[in-house]
Parts: sequence; C-alpha cells; structure tokens
Amino acid sequence: MGARVLFVCGCIAALAVTSAGARPVVTPGVSADEIQLGSSVPLSGEAAIAGNVARGIEAYFKYVNDKGGVFGRKIAYTYLDDGYDPGRAVNNTIRLVQQEQVLAVFSSLGTSNNLAVRKLLNDAKVPQLYVSSGATTFGRDYKKYPWTIGYIPPYSEEGELYARYVVKNVKKPKIAVLYQNDDYGRDLLGGLKRGLGSNAKSLVASVGYDPTSADVQPQVTQLKASKANVLMIFAFGKFSLQAFNAVSRLAWKPQIFVNDVSSASALMAIVPQNAAKGSISIVFGKDPAAPLWRNDKGIKLFQSILKKYGSSINARDLKDGYFTAGMATAYTMVDTLKRAGRNPTRQSVMNAASHLNEKGNPFVLPGIVLHTTPSSRFPLTQVRLQRWSNNAWHPFGKLISAKP
Amino acid sequence: MRARLWLELAGFAVLTAIVAGLPRYVSDFRARELAIVGMYFIALLGLSILTGYSGQISLGHGAFMAIGGYTTAVLSIDGVYGHQIRDLWTIPIAGVIAGMAGLLVGVPALRLSGLYLALITFGIAVSFPQLPKKFDHFLGGTTGKILNLAEPPFGLRTTTNNWIYYLTWGIALVLLLAAWLLVRGKAGRALKAIRDSEVAAASSGINLATYKTLAFGISAFYAGVAGSLYAIANAYVNPDVFPIILSVYLVVGLAVGGLDSLVGLIAGAGLIYFLQNHADTVARWINHLPALNLDPKQPGIPSMIFGAVLIVVMLLLPTGAGGLLRRVFGPLTSRLYTRS
Repeated sequence: MGARVLFVCGCIAALAVTSAGARPVVTPGVSADEIQLGSSVPLSGEAAIAGNVARGIEAYFKYVNDKGGVFGRKIAYTYLDDGYDPGRAVNNTIRLVQQEQVLAVFSSLGTSNNLAVRKLLNDAKVPQLYVSSGATTFGRDYKKYPWTIGYIPPYSEEGELYARYVVKNVKKPKIAVLYQNDDYGRDLLGGLKRGLGSNAKSLVASVGYDPTSADVQPQVTQLKASKANVLMIFAFGKFSLQAFNAVSRLAWKPQIFVNDVSSASALMAIVPQNAAKGSISIVFGKDPAAPLWRNDKGIKLFQSILKKYGSSINARDLKDGYFTAGMATAYTMVDTLKRAGRNPTRQSVMNAASHLNEKGNPFVLPGIVLHTTPSSRFPLTQVRLQRWSNNAWHPFGKLISAKP
Repeated sequence: MRARLWLELAGFAVLTAIVAGLPRYVSDFRARELAIVGMYFIALLGLSILTGYSGQISLGHGAFMAIGGYTTAVLSIDGVYGHQIRDLWTIPIAGVIAGMAGLLVGVPALRLSGLYLALITFGIAVSFPQLPKKFDHFLGGTTGKILNLAEPPFGLRTTTNNWIYYLTWGIALVLLLAAWLLVRGKAGRALKAIRDSEVAAASSGINLATYKTLAFGISAFYAGVAGSLYAIANAYVNPDVFPIILSVYLVVGLAVGGLDSLVGLIAGAGLIYFLQNHADTVARWINHLPALNLDPKQPGIPSMIFGAVLIVVMLLLPTGAGGLLRRVFGPLTSRLYTRS
C-alpha cells in the first residue's frame, strides 16, 4: 500500500465529492403576513455609535406594525453587526439575502461597506435601498448599478456648499482640510475643490488619515503649520473627536467646518468647547438635541415611539440624532413599500424608490421634499447650514439645494 | 500497524461520505457557512503541521491567508498582462505564492524559537495589512477589491454556495490526506523529533534547517489556499477581511482542535466560525440560565461570549477535540494494534 496509491484514492474521493448533486435555487419573496428587510450596521468598533440608526429603524417599524403594518403585512427587520468592516458587511449581506431572504437590503451603513456589496446585490437583483452613506456614486452610477439608491445628500455637494460659503463669507480664506483617506473623505474633498473653482489657491493644505490609524493629532499639527484660518474636518466618529481635541490642545483658532455625518450633537457636546464653538455644518434631519425642536411634533412623535418600542433605551438616546436619522429613513421606506403596491416585488420596490415624491416626513426639516426620478437618484437634496453655540446646533439661513 | 491504517482509512471514507452528503440536508446558506468552516480547516491543517508537528509557533498565519486572497483577487480581476485568470485556477497559484512567502519567513525563523518566533510572525500579521494601503492602485487600499461572484464551472447545475462548498471540501480532503501522508512518514517523524528536542534530532542526522523551513513553506501553502478560497467565497478582499485577530483565531482553533490531531481540527474550525458569527445565538442559549439576561445586540457581548466559551472548552477539553477522539478511540486502536 504505497503512499502514492493512497493519495490517488483520496483525489478520486474528493472529485466524487466535488461533482455530487445539485439542489434547486430558492426564490425569496414576500409572505402573506410579513415583509423582510435587513441591514448591516456597526454595533461594535469605532463607529458603533452610528449603529443607533438601525435601532431607530427597528423602533419605527414596530410602531408601524402596531398600527397594522403595510397593506396588512408586518415589517420584519433584521440588522447585523459588521463592526464597520466591509468584509463582515459582505458576509452579513449574503446572510441577509440567502438566509433571512430579505426583500431588500436597506440603510446599511458606511461607504466602503456598501461599495463592497453593491456588485453582488446588483448581480442578484436585490434592491440596495437608501444607503447610509452620501458617497456620490450611489446616486450617480445608476446605469451600471440599477438596484442601488442613496439617501442623504451627496458628499461632493456637501463639500461644494462649504466651499461656496467660505468664498462668500470668509475674508482672505486659507483652507486646511483633514480628510479620511478613502472614497468617503476624498468625495468630500473633491466637492470642496470643485466648489472653490477659481479660488483653488485658497486651499493651502490637505492631509488624509488612514481610517485604521490610532490618532489624527499628527495630521492636525501638520495642518496648523500651514497657517490656515479655515479648517475642514471631513472625518468620522472618534477621528472628529480627536481632531477637535487636537485643535484645542494646539490653541489653534480656525473657523471649523465639520461634515454632516461627524457632527452629531452627542459628539460635539463632549469635545473641548473652545474649539467646537462657532463650527459650521449642514443639516437636513431634525436634531432631537437642538433647542429649536424642543416642542416640535415630529420630535415628540420620535421620542414617544422610541420610549414605547425601542429596546434598552436610556434618557440620552432620546436626544441622539442617529435614532432620528434611522426613523427618517424608515419613514421613507414605509412610504416606498406603500408605493410598491399590495404585492410588492423587488422590481416594484425599486421602481417606487426611484419615483419618490415624499412631503412631510416628520423627522426631516420642514419644507424638505424627498424626490427621485429614474435618472435622479438622490432622495434628500435640500439642506440648511447650522452653527454650534451654547452646546447646541442652531440652523441658520434658508433651505439650499444640494442637488448634483 | 495494518489494522490501525485500515481504521484511519475507514475514518477517511466516512468523513468523505459525510462531506458529500451533508448539503442535501442543510439550507443553501448553511452550505456556505460549512464551506467557510472548511477554509478555516485547511488553514488549521497547515498550522498543525507547523505548530503541532514541528513545534514552531506562528501568530501570523492570517497574513499568509491574506497573501493567498490577494493573489486570487489580483489574478482574477487584473489578470496577467490583461488576461484574467479563472478564479478556480488561481487557487494553486495563491497557494504557491503564499508558500514561497512562508519559505522566506522560515529562513530567519531558523535562528529563533518559542516566544521570539511567535513575536516575529505576529509582526508579519500586524504589518501585512499596511501593504494594500501603501500600494492602493494595485491592491485596492482600504476600499478593497471586488471580485466576480463565483459561478459553478463546466456547466454544473448547482448553486454558487453548493459549488463553493464542494470545491472547498474537495480541496480540504485532498489536503487532509496529503498532510496525513506527510506526518505519518519520514518527514513527520523528523518534524516530531525536532519538536521534542532539536539537539536530539540534529544528532540523529535530521537536517534542522531543511525541515523547519519546509514546515513553514508547506503550512503557508495551506493558508494561502484557504485565503484564496475565502476571497472567492466573499467576492471581496480588503485588509480588514484578514485582520490581525484572524491569526489569533487560527491559533485558538488549533488549540481547540488538538495540536497534532488532523481530524480534530474540524471542530476547531467549526468553533472559530461559529463563535465569530453566531455569538448572538449562544447569548440566547445562555439566557435560559437563571438570573442572566444578555442583550446580544449590545456591543461587546459577542466578544465576551467568545472568550467565555473558549475558557469553558479549554477547561473541559485541555487536549482539544483531538485528545477527546483519542480517549474514545484509543482503547479500540491499541487493542487492534496489539493483535496485529
């Protein structure tokens, strides 16, 4: 019994295994009393705080189910933790599509995470709805990826708005930019550059940081050396926190602009106020921590839903904008399902998502209309500017367009 | 001796039958999960040859998996001079490239042992993820590289997941057999001798340098194949797909499976997959115990459960699943052994 013979036997056995039987492919659908939706979000890791978006969505769907659901069907919502890691997002998304058999993947969070699954969802013709990322590509590249649609204003437009504001309102601007060195940060930076146009010279320094690095203090120090009077913080989570800390520690006094997704009130309240005071950002959702909305109907509704339907909710959560952001998306999702008809299919849901005309979403700023057409796939394109003072955001100016 | 050989062969036949039949009884998605367990199993086989048999500790095998995964990604997307290579054929290439990297690491490893070797290999695991970031035009940076979804070749009528399952386990069985042949022959005896005492091994004429480097190369080859399959199954690679912690998980899987038990490693592979992806299920089980109420969605709970289960497993099975198998089948084989 030679070793070689054994080896050949094994190979034959293995080949037999490889060519063994097939099973039929299952087609997922909508059951008589349920609609399955799912998302992949960070519940752990450096972006864990943003996972509250999913908890807000969950609470809102429970509220809708309690009121009878959509055409008599309850929405079953599954959200899985990816730790803000695109690899795990791929795994989760495959699990949602194949195991949970969702009608659509909805509001998954993160630019890289959504990019990583875009191709496989489009290949499988599963709607990738209301992506929780403002990367311009999700709305722009619908010809190549017809099953994908974004939600929040595109980052490139956001960058452009800041540029236009600086050119108009800051004397002799010298702009320094701290950006996350991936598709997300570069998108914002690209928009800023485009918005500066002929004033390109006023951009004096831009430094990227790696999303896996430990601290951005070195980058901020480098930016301070450029003697800029305007600082753009295009960061995320702990990095924006570190950036404000570094600015304060270096006793630097630039006019700070901080991009929307890193401007949560909860975060702004804990950074050194000598740096944070006067910072400017854009806003489109109602911030439950802002004094302006204290007696607003939408925010009251939000708080009552969260108290009744949220799981392990504490007092701080009632002022957490991530929960409201989740509810705003969930509201649009329910709207979409209603438009998709009594017997929704993946095609009809996608069709509804690209023919939105939603007025009166209680969780976004008054006056905003969420509007899409098959060739304009950016649902939210109206924003206001807001300034941080006295430990809260204060919107100012009129609604402005962020439509590409 | 003969009897024992036949017993092991019969065991292999049973294993083959189980592997071939299992997908009929589980869902399509479970087939995918089992395929990923198979990938961990392949990587663990390699690690077992290195750590279990030759006694060299590696905390860097995640990096060899990454080399395999990236090789497959680059060859199947960018190809060689613009010619894309079918994902299937990139698997052996990925193995060979990872194996060569392993040989390179094996050379300095000759001068180090124990803790120092573990540190060096850990350094590789830590530094490898920086490479794709440095060469982001070629390797995709943190955004990663997106592969085409695997499809069954040769007109086979089966689902992608079943195809990946049979592919992975087919390769795993061949590699299991190859590892078994290696460790039961001359090379295996040499490796074990080195593990038990380098001085004694050298004085009985074993070439330490050759065998130690070879063990590194072979085990990296296994890891490379596993990484390549992982990239194909996920249709995506980025540095986070092969995180530093993966190397640690592999060592965990090796300890749970039993250092020098090849078949026991299946249990190790299963455990590391299960705890990474289904810690929430475990949390729900644990909640049946009195006075416990864990919220599986709370951050940190899954990792805590991973740790707790690991401690319990190692307390109950200090020699791993392999040790348990030996205790159950040991009396049987030794009787056969004395009769023949």
